[in-house]
Amino acid sequence: MTSLQTRSLVLRALRAAPTSSGSSYRHTSPLPSLKTRRFPSNRSHSTSSVSADEVSHFSKLASSWWDPMGPSRILHLMNPLRHEFIASCLADSAPAGSPVPQSSNSATAANLDYLDIGCGGGIFAESLARTIPLDRAASAPTPTRAASMTAIDPTTTLIQIARDHGRMDPTVEAHMRSGRFQYLNTTLEDVLAGSTPASAPASAPASASASSSSPTGHQQFDMVTLFEVIEHIDPTTTTPQAFLANCLRALKPGGWLIGSTISRTFPSWILNQVIAEAPWPIGVVPRGTHEWSKFVNPDELHSWAQEGLMRAADTNVTRAGPAALDGWKIVPGSEDWGNYFWAVKKGI
Amino acid sequence: MPTSNTMRSISRAALRPYVCTSCRHGIGATRRRFGTNSSQTPEIYDVVCVGGGPAGLGLLAALRASPVTSKLKVALVESQDLRKARGWNLDSTQFSNRVSSLTPSTVEFLRKINAWEHLDVDRVQEYQDMQVWDGETGSRISFDWSTETSPFEDMRTVATMTENANLVRGLLSRIEASGDENLTLFSNTTVASIENGSDLQNEGPDLSAWPIISVAPTAPGAQAQSPTRIAARLLVGADGINSPVRSFADISTQGWDYNRHGIVATLALGDPDKPSFPANMRTAYQRFLPALGGPIALLPLPNNHATLVWSTTPENAAYLKSLSTPAFLAMVNAAFRLSMTDLTYMMGMDRTSDQFSHEDELIWRLQHTPQQSQIPPSAIGVQEGTVASFPLRFRHASQYISPRVALVGDAAHVIHPLAGQGLNLGMADVAALSRTIEYAVSHGMDIGDLLTLERYSSERYLPNAKIGGACDLLHKMYTIPGQGPITWARSLGLDVIDRLPFVKSFLMKNAEGY
Repeated sequence: MTSLQTRSLVLRALRAAPTSSGSSYRHTSPLPSLKTRRFPSNRSHSTSSVSADEVSHFSKLASSWWDPMGPSRILHLMNPLRHEFIASCLADSAPAGSPVPQSSNSATAANLDYLDIGCGGGIFAESLARTIPLDRAASAPTPTRAASMTAIDPTTTLIQIARDHGRMDPTVEAHMRSGRFQYLNTTLEDVLAGSTPASAPASAPASASASSSSPTGHQQFDMVTLFEVIEHIDPTTTTPQAFLANCLRALKPGGWLIGSTISRTFPSWILNQVIAEAPWPIGVVPRGTHEWSKFVNPDELHSWAQEGLMRAADTNVTRAGPAALDGWKIVPGSEDWGNYFWAVKKGI
Repeated sequence: MPTSNTMRSISRAALRPYVCTSCRHGIGATRRRFGTNSSQTPEIYDVVCVGGGPAGLGLLAALRASPVTSKLKVALVESQDLRKARGWNLDSTQFSNRVSSLTPSTVEFLRKINAWEHLDVDRVQEYQDMQVWDGETGSRISFDWSTETSPFEDMRTVATMTENANLVRGLLSRIEASGDENLTLFSNTTVASIENGSDLQNEGPDLSAWPIISVAPTAPGAQAQSPTRIAARLLVGADGINSPVRSFADISTQGWDYNRHGIVATLALGDPDKPSFPANMRTAYQRFLPALGGPIALLPLPNNHATLVWSTTPENAAYLKSLSTPAFLAMVNAAFRLSMTDLTYMMGMDRTSDQFSHEDELIWRLQHTPQQSQIPPSAIGVQEGTVASFPLRFRHASQYISPRVALVGDAAHVIHPLAGQGLNLGMADVAALSRTIEYAVSHGMDIGDLLTLERYSSERYLPNAKIGGACDLLHKMYTIPGQGPITWARSLGLDVIDRLPFVKSFLMKNAEGY
């Protein structure tokens, strides 16, 4: 089911091509990078490992981020599938989540804390925040069961756009006001270091208290999402293994790390590089959005995740034992065409 | 759904100008200066539906019926008295003249949202056979399922006739059964204005791209009351051909008037010449009358009644309405039986003459006219006060959606009634829109967002255009009198369709709405 939809999304991208003025498939700026080239829109992080080129590329796309017919249209169309994939992971095996009030059922309670890494303009983060029930005791309206959402991105303009857009929906605005939904202009490293930036809205009491802490004191989450991020990592300054290790550190035992990316296959090269980035009217993503060499194949991802988890375990940052990958989930078939979803469950 | 005239008077100022994203901040600031204070913060609804006809009520009933959307905060604004519609009641021998033919897929939708059981089913009439023929050439097509179904199977229904009032009452009763939590029905209320909201800055959300509807009671004496302001995540225009919601969204329509009127009436029928077989089978009849400007149709109602829909020129319509009851009945019976020449003559008879009555004229002329095998039973009575007429028009909105706005039913499209599809297209819109909203809610999408609404629009725009266009084409083909090539092609057309079972079954399935 989901794999068929992923396929049809790819085909839809092709069909959409003649009418779309073209652009971004991808958004986000990943985390680690030691480059410190100055970009006016980019916060300078002392430990930043964010690829400056990527940040620059996505800053240019910022103003059209929420335009349904704009360069990010493909991302918008893909977004509902992310919800479906998360729901399918939770149907397989759900983390315990925060304790629920006695009146509600733990299987349907909205008690999962989410961290969205590389949230960009907030397409996924805002959509998930919309599903957080206003009444905390109410059962979850969707199978994604969100109780809170923390969304981070190192690109300042994108975080500003995300916040402004969130204010245009009263439900989302209410969650931002209460702190159950927050956008942080920060990096994963800062979150792990426990230093929340000054720009964080009203210190987010609900989310902070809802998330349990790791032995070293940083926040941990039931669900960590990483949509269209790791293919934008700069391989000259960081490694996917190190990056995934950090993602797993942010995860509570039993939690899911869920992502999507593009595989490095021949059809995906044709689709994503030749067709999608072709000049208007063929192309649907702006030129320079993707580098095929950064695309990730599923087997690589699986081994990176395992290695990442080992590293996370080596440093004693998590309580997880070695090789504690509980689940490995991927939508079969879709990876040959390019975009695919994957998920890793951290052992308890 | 008819729209009250008071709803048209929305000033152009309420129309939303297009504002590019980068300019929005400046506008918000200006608004704030002149804008409302926070005590006037509008109440926020997920769905505000303007128009309480079958489409608007159908949407509400569908949203309330789905577990995914039943918690949405919804409001309905209707200028008529909904309590009166809810309390509608007629004797079992009386029928309203506003009757619609529901395709099986519309009935299926109504069953799915548990609304069908709220209709008075003794007042609805299914029919299994449809006789359509050309009054000029005599070529005919018979729509029945006998070639499609085995003799052991129940006969399949072509369509189900129901009074609109029965449907509206049933939908209201269904909505009532869903409880009143998160539901507001603004009855006897018109839309005074629709404008964009404002950015509440530190006080609350940015509503500058949200439609704010000011609603005011229509009741006399209540005018002094200040209007209630409500904000809509999704504003649905189910408000008819002159849709104020459509004007607010600045969506244009294309279309034309057919220069035809539809005459409707509730008729009592005599016993058929030969009993129908099987006994419970009912038939609808439609005869194209090129010389008189359109088809006449007789659609069955319970207890041997029928509803008449006769599309003709405004002059003929005025003439027919001015006739005495016996003369009117004679014209109806003549229209199914006599030649174009006879009919044209009778349509010009001096209605004040004592010497020559329409009844005598019909009897005399029938003796000289060979009769087709399938003609409806004679109409023997007209229910008092049911003869009425309405202008026939074609309209199609250039689009069904704009940010936080969706149009359904007559607000989006008005078509020629010759195939009885108008209300069905509206209900199909509502079914699609409620599915779209359901999908959006379960996937964290904003139900007023264009990305959400385009699913609805892409599902409905082309089917509506196709069926509206087909009805238009049929109308145009069958209003050309005489023996020219069109007429010849026409007779070939219906005959060929009747002889090729698979083409016919395709057409029937289309007419059914599959």
